[in-house]
Amino acid sequence: MNKDVVKKENRNLPRVRPYTDILEKEDGFHIFMDLPGVEREDLVIDLNDSELEIRAKSIIPKNEARKAIHLEFGDGEYVRAFTISDTVDREKIKATLKSGILELFLPKAEKAMPRKIEITGA
Amino acid sequence: MVIDFSSFHDLPRQMDAIFDEMWRSGEFGQRRMAYPPVNITEDEQSIYVSAEIPGMKIEDIDLTLTEGSLVIKGKRVPESGNYYRQERPTGNFQRVVNVNVPVNAEAVTASMKNGVLAVSLPKSEESRPRKISIAAQ
Repeated sequence: MNKDVVKKENRNLPRVRPYTDILEKEDGFHIFMDLPGVEREDLVIDLNDSELEIRAKSIIPKNEARKAIHLEFGDGEYVRAFTISDTVDREKIKATLKSGILELFLPKAEKAMPRKIEITGA
Repeated sequence: MVIDFSSFHDLPRQMDAIFDEMWRSGEFGQRRMAYPPVNITEDEQSIYVSAEIPGMKIEDIDLTLTEGSLVIKGKRVPESGNYYRQERPTGNFQRVVNVNVPVNAEAVTASMKNGVLAVSLPKSEESRPRKISIAAQ
């Protein structure tokens, strides 16, 4: 029921799949997402079990006096979902939105960190 | 895209994703061809050019106004790490916007907000529309 309402609201906006980079560094996974034109309050990040869903709206301020000559981008809703590996520490996921880029940092859980194994001589 | 029929992966959702992909190819067709995407609008006073260039500082974007064109140039530097997926464009980009109206080059302003570059190019006095009063004789 609730879902239907949400769907109706967003029907007018074209859905855009944002360009995304996923990379692994020693400390964990980093996800970079291009979300140009998105304000912080228009960004929703949901973590549901192992599903991470990102929704964001980009609305270009309208100005009636201006005449369009050539348009290549417009209002849109960015939607993208990821499945998160079990090695990620869910409690410590960090998100920052800066100049149109969302950076998600997914740290690896302690037990998944690479470590040296001590060898005991007999 | 990988289609995996095993029960471990959520096949219905993957199928949805494929159809979504087909849908999208129609809209924003130019998006993939030219980077960055630009919008051009105008009113009586100025021409406005805006471009989606997320993650760039205004200092790192090279704007050149020559006679008849505005050139947007820059470079997006990739992060270092072990990539699983790389979709965001990196490297040098350049976009040339033709401006066929004389522009007052001294008064051009540019700003950057949430990854969207906005340049306003005020038209020079002689190219603005004006009313001419006709004296009755």
